[in-house]
Amino acid sequence: MAGMKELVEDIAKALVDIPDQVAVREVQGEQVTVLELRVAPSDLGKVIGKQGRTARSIRTILGAAGMKLNRRFTLEILE
Amino acid sequence: MNEQRICEFLNQVIGNAGFDLSFQLCRGEIRHPDFENPEVVVKFSGPDVELLLANKGELLLALEQLTMEMLRMRPEEHSLLCFDANDYRMLRIEELRLSAQTAAERVKRSGLPYRFNPMTSRERRIIHLALRNETAVRSESSGVGPNRQVVIYPANMPSLPADGRQAPSPGPAPRRGKRR
Repeated sequence: MAGMKELVEDIAKALVDIPDQVAVREVQGEQVTVLELRVAPSDLGKVIGKQGRTARSIRTILGAAGMKLNRRFTLEILE
Repeated sequence: MNEQRICEFLNQVIGNAGFDLSFQLCRGEIRHPDFENPEVVVKFSGPDVELLLANKGELLLALEQLTMEMLRMRPEEHSLLCFDANDYRMLRIEELRLSAQTAAERVKRSGLPYRFNPMTSRERRIIHLALRNETAVRSESSGVGPNRQVVIYPANMPSLPADGRQAPSPGPAPRRGKRR
């Protein structure tokens, strides 16, 4: 079963040093679902990556999964 | 390499995302020993392989990159792990080698630099390796992040600034492949 919130949460937890501090909030809009990802400040670099590459990879996966569900998902990484 | 963690991570991601994919971890068969020597190749199959390979394998490469980050692999270890489907990566190496040779010939003939479209570090490495024995031309990467691209220069020409618009018109030479 597809779960975008769990998708982002599980990926983030796998990447960071402090998985306990990973939190994802799902904000449903009409056309778009925004997923707000919060991690420990020391782990921000882990979910963003060099030149934003890791964040881009997470967004690519969200985009592909969203295509199958006919819905747009946006990832916001909160600082 | 921790194969169990790779399987757990991928099963989690594929399950949550709802991708219709299965995968298999294989010992790397070394078909291009001068270019890549992967220890482990993760081979995907299933109805969503098309989605995986769309936009030049964007999703495939995203899964690979996240897996490497998850395993905390250092950049110099990245060529030990390779994700593939329908031999896309294998064929891509062949394609990059041919593009490198064609572009090098062109630079030798014209005396003008040739700028490739942006590529991942792994693909740029293949271009550089394909040209390492050339004496009349040299290759160099310029630009940052996702826009970093290989430029081939005549051996004695100084580098141009890292701006695609400054480059001489590349003309109809083979650019990045359209193959998916």
